[in-house]
Amino acid sequence: MKIMWTYIVAGLTIFGLMLLVGIGLRASQAGWIPIDTGTFYSLLSLHGVGMITAMAIAGLGLLWYLVDREIHLDERVAMLAFAFFAIGVVVVIVSVVFGHYGALWTMLYPLPFVGTTWPSWATGAWLLGVAAVMLGFMLICAQILGAILRSSGGLGSALGLDYVFGRKAFEAAGKHPPSPQMLAATVVSIDGLIGGASGLLVGIAMIAHWLDPHVVIDPLWAKNLTYQFGHTFANLTMYMAVAGIYVALPICTKRAYHSSIPLVVAWWGTLVFVIIAYFHHLYMDFVQWPAVQYIGEISSYLAAVPVVVVTVFGGLMLIHRSGMKWTLGSMFFFAGMIGWIVGGSAAILDATIPFNVDLHNTLWVPAHFHTYLLEGVFLFILGWVFVSLEQRAEAASSALVRWIVGLGIFGGGALFLLSFYVAGAAGVPRRYAVEPAPGPFWAGIATVGALLVLVGVLAALVEGIRLARMRAVGSTV
Amino acid sequence: MGDGLLVLRIFFVVAAIAIAAMLFVALYGAKKPLPQSVVNDAGYRIRKLWLGLVLVVAVVAFALTVPFFPYPWAQASVGARHIEVTAAQYAFVMPAVLPADVPLVFDVTSQDVNHGFGIYAPDGTLFAQVQAMPDYINHLPIEFHVKGHYVVRCLEFCGIGHAYMHGGFDVR
Repeated sequence: MKIMWTYIVAGLTIFGLMLLVGIGLRASQAGWIPIDTGTFYSLLSLHGVGMITAMAIAGLGLLWYLVDREIHLDERVAMLAFAFFAIGVVVVIVSVVFGHYGALWTMLYPLPFVGTTWPSWATGAWLLGVAAVMLGFMLICAQILGAILRSSGGLGSALGLDYVFGRKAFEAAGKHPPSPQMLAATVVSIDGLIGGASGLLVGIAMIAHWLDPHVVIDPLWAKNLTYQFGHTFANLTMYMAVAGIYVALPICTKRAYHSSIPLVVAWWGTLVFVIIAYFHHLYMDFVQWPAVQYIGEISSYLAAVPVVVVTVFGGLMLIHRSGMKWTLGSMFFFAGMIGWIVGGSAAILDATIPFNVDLHNTLWVPAHFHTYLLEGVFLFILGWVFVSLEQRAEAASSALVRWIVGLGIFGGGALFLLSFYVAGAAGVPRRYAVEPAPGPFWAGIATVGALLVLVGVLAALVEGIRLARMRAVGSTV
Repeated sequence: MGDGLLVLRIFFVVAAIAIAAMLFVALYGAKKPLPQSVVNDAGYRIRKLWLGLVLVVAVVAFALTVPFFPYPWAQASVGARHIEVTAAQYAFVMPAVLPADVPLVFDVTSQDVNHGFGIYAPDGTLFAQVQAMPDYINHLPIEFHVKGHYVVRCLEFCGIGHAYMHGGFDVR
């Protein structure tokens, strides 16, 4: 529990700080507060990498705990990984605050080496800081995967191959398939190591170029690796948090979520599609090998199948006519599934190549991933936190608190996201410190929505502290 | 091309249906709980149909979109006039006037970092785009049927002047 709470509290703290930065960025685009262009891109760099890291740290804390419940994991490894995260975060902050680095976190080579306005050491610090975060992430993935492989007897068993291809004999032998959360952990750790390796590879190449500018990198190779890493890392934050659905929703609904052949096969699909769907980031690179453009579209479509047919469908089957009480915890999980589906729908439209021409690198892109992260991953993490607190305190929140939190995070969130979608559909480019019309108008709407989200988050924070204190005072759990 | 608002409408419809369906499943009969086995019996039957529907929609959508891929190998551009475009922090070098109703191919490259070559039609909609990459040339086949001034904006983050990197041309 100590590891889980350390990771989740750290992740949510970074989330809160990055939320404030994000509000400032949208207010600046609305013309409400003055932020100069250089500072804007420094803050945007910090916001992007900070939010992804925050969700990854919190999600890993949850996943690590779920695996540790079934297979003992060494806490010292998790703390070592946490040290990598902490060092990485501090170095990245130094790079931005003192070095004014501002080339974002999925920078495409020859960025961040050409046309920079900051000192070279800031570029190096940024690269090394992100590399430290990646090492921490890969360390946890390696620990989880190693433990699962040891306990299950191999990759085939960990992925349920023997269960799917010989179910009768498997069950006759008294064996049980991997639990849903262990399947999630296996897939996240394998894909995490692959994505992390891509990130480290291109990162090392860039560090080599930073040390010796004569080292030349192919821009298309770098772009493929950068997006393979960036897309996989961002996407996996969802699958870390999703593991919480399999454990928390049964608590909320007093029902069981069992492994089944469709569930196992669905996770095989996720295992494959998460690492190849990134091709959709290179649709507008016409020199890319033609076959992967087709693969990018169909794999992006098929990546949705495990989500809508198995996990969310299964989650809804748990909730349907279960008599589940609408606490903050269950609300967050249900709303998180909605956010996942809505954000995923926007992502699929963007992954449709003829539509991508109209949406690529417009505000539609942050629209879909903010939906996915803010109204999906973040809500699953909050859901896990609140289900845990409600269980320990044996108490729930009042209707008034639920309305305040709901209106803030869901209502404000909808307003905030709507502005992204509408401006993106109108062709307003992303990553513009100063946007063309109608960008500034919608940035103003977004700022109001984000402030409402902040109110909801603060209300949830106060309520979370209240529930935690109730446990400390009265619970014997 | 220029279909951003169409995509937005599709998205609103899909999102509304998804949210309504999920709320219905969660709230319908909520005060009359059923045993999980009863829900599962019906749920698993529906899931088989749902899986079939999702797969059919995915495959059909893929097949329907392939003819509209914007790539040079997917679009007929034999005999087209080639237009060189060179991007560099923070400007585009390209002709100021282009002909209407003539097949064109933009040969787009970059002198420094990655840029995006985004063409906005006279009505302000995003009409076409391709990446401008150093060491590579991307070929964008296109034919303009609407005369007027087209604005070009950078659609890939390229540095501190990214938001100010724009150009344009007239189609006559």
